[in-house]
Amino acid sequence: MKGGDALMTESLNVNVDRRDGLAVVYTEGYINNQGGEEIARVAYKLIDEGYKVLLLNLGGTKIVNSIGISILIEIIEKMIEIEGKLGFCCLTNTIEKTFHIMGLAQYAPIFPDEPTAVAQLKG
Amino acid sequence: MTSGITPRLWRELLVLLQDEAGERLAIERLLELWCQTRETRSAGLYLERQGVLEQQAAVGEHLPEILDAGALERGELAELEIESLRLPGGCLLWSPAGNPFVSPEEADDPLPVLLASALKSFRLKQVLKEQQFQVNYRVVELENLYDVGLAVAGTLDLDRLSEEILLRAMSLLDARRGALYVLEDGRYRLERNFGGEAGRWFAEEDPDLAVFLSGYGEGPADLLPGAHHLLSVPIVFESSPRGMLVVGDKESRRAVGPFSSSDRRTLGLFANQAAIALENARLHLRALEQERLEREMHLAAEIQRQILPKGAPQLPGCQLVGWNRPAREVGGDYYDMFPTQGGRMGLVVGDVSGKGIPAALMVSTLHSALRLLLDQTGIGPPLLEKLNKHILESSMPNKFITMFVAELDPESGNLLYVNAGHNPGLLLHQDGRIEELGSGGVPLGLFPGSRYQAREATVGPGDLLCLYSDGITEAESVDDEELGTERLCDVLRSHCEEPALQAVLDAVRVSVEEFSRGRPQGDDQTLLLLRRDLTP
Repeated sequence: MKGGDALMTESLNVNVDRRDGLAVVYTEGYINNQGGEEIARVAYKLIDEGYKVLLLNLGGTKIVNSIGISILIEIIEKMIEIEGKLGFCCLTNTIEKTFHIMGLAQYAPIFPDEPTAVAQLKG
Repeated sequence: MTSGITPRLWRELLVLLQDEAGERLAIERLLELWCQTRETRSAGLYLERQGVLEQQAAVGEHLPEILDAGALERGELAELEIESLRLPGGCLLWSPAGNPFVSPEEADDPLPVLLASALKSFRLKQVLKEQQFQVNYRVVELENLYDVGLAVAGTLDLDRLSEEILLRAMSLLDARRGALYVLEDGRYRLERNFGGEAGRWFAEEDPDLAVFLSGYGEGPADLLPGAHHLLSVPIVFESSPRGMLVVGDKESRRAVGPFSSSDRRTLGLFANQAAIALENARLHLRALEQERLEREMHLAAEIQRQILPKGAPQLPGCQLVGWNRPAREVGGDYYDMFPTQGGRMGLVVGDVSGKGIPAALMVSTLHSALRLLLDQTGIGPPLLEKLNKHILESSMPNKFITMFVAELDPESGNLLYVNAGHNPGLLLHQDGRIEELGSGGVPLGLFPGSRYQAREATVGPGDLLCLYSDGITEAESVDDEELGTERLCDVLRSHCEEPALQAVLDAVRVSVEEFSRGRPQGDDQTLLLLRRDLTP
């Protein structure tokens, strides 16, 4: 006995807002292997464009897995390598807790909201 | 060929190797040395992981950052004009200049050994980093298991809870896709899915699914359509299945693969926690629903109270009282007392089959129809025949109403009555004789075209008329004995001379209560009493 039609499909959407030396990357969806690679692709492109301050606004993301985290760590390492700055904002409690445990927060500060993050990263 | 490693360079390397940042510079220095001594345009050190070569350090012209390890064996690098040297755990690549290359194995050259050592250092660091990552992620897993019992249990909204459980499970197992099913009425209904399509429902007894939930087989093909690897565990609360968690396609950095037996154990532990949270939410929902039903029931009871008479109308030369006590909050008994033409008084007692809300709804229908038809027909067989038609058309099959309708002329004591299958009315005469006012037709709502007969009786001065529902005479004692008509008549005889008719009604009520003490009220109880005064 089987079910009928299927329901929703999710993928990660990434949008960028470039502002005076700082780029805000908005994510919406699952930060897994595919999602993480998409964020990395966008982040490295921004670095190539000369942006050294990135803010990842994860307000539209409710789930992240270990592969996604490992890719985010690589982006952090890249930012450290170019002596840039990377921050996160608008995280769910679960994701924020995960980032603290995984050590991401040690190298990329976590902010509660975007205005605070922008002010701190620009300062 | 000389290595080019001078005492000065040795010292420089030793200084660089004192800290982590300098280590990379030292390796780049060695690679530069390789380029100088071999006259190559570039050189890069590659670590091999899972069949992939990843660049760790490079100097000179561009070299690929990542490439398939098989490309070395297949000789594909020659097309890119790239030479290679296998090292333990990786390789060295370089793009040669125009000068012919002399194999380092043929020369007395420590450089490849140094680079191999550097590669080993990279590998150890990588392993350390991965192990640290795994340890940290294990903590995340434990936190998730812990949190699902706390944070998740704190969520009583079933929608939010389902999403939370599913997302945490997927995150925990690095699943690309997932779905949460709730077991309802013998089938698993899709409550939530993420990352792709999922079948809407599956029968609980689906053999493929049952086997799959036991940890064997591949599961129904349309569980997560398109997923290559599935894992599913049942959600069980107190040995009772409540749903299932399904995840699909475990992600690694380069592909998706199957879930391990350890993943099954983790998901099983998670499902146990989730079961408690889901059960809490379900009970909360049920409590809310119960609360809503109770509010609606209170409202229905209030509406029914409005239907029943709030007091007895005044009737010269007579006393009149009525009483009703439903077995549940609302009931299927009905009574009414209302003045009719010529100073007469209409009396009605009805009993709808069944109890509770369905019976109460029929009472409401009966009340409305009776009041509307009375104006057209007055009290008599036509009223009952029209009511029968109306009830038959507007009620469920097998629902019926017994009804006693009467009209009293208080001056003459003449009582016209029609009994549609109801308990006989009891007319207690002054001389102690009890006259039963029997049936003149079948209950309403049973058959189309039922006919009814009107009968007459005389209520003399001091006579007491008792109309009641079977909830009175069928009230049961703890010994399963019914009160019966005889006991009712005895109570009426004992108290019929009480000056206030209300005292007679109270005596019947108390007698019924005492008789059935210790037993829940089984049926709705209704009593209507009328007594003509002895003296006008």
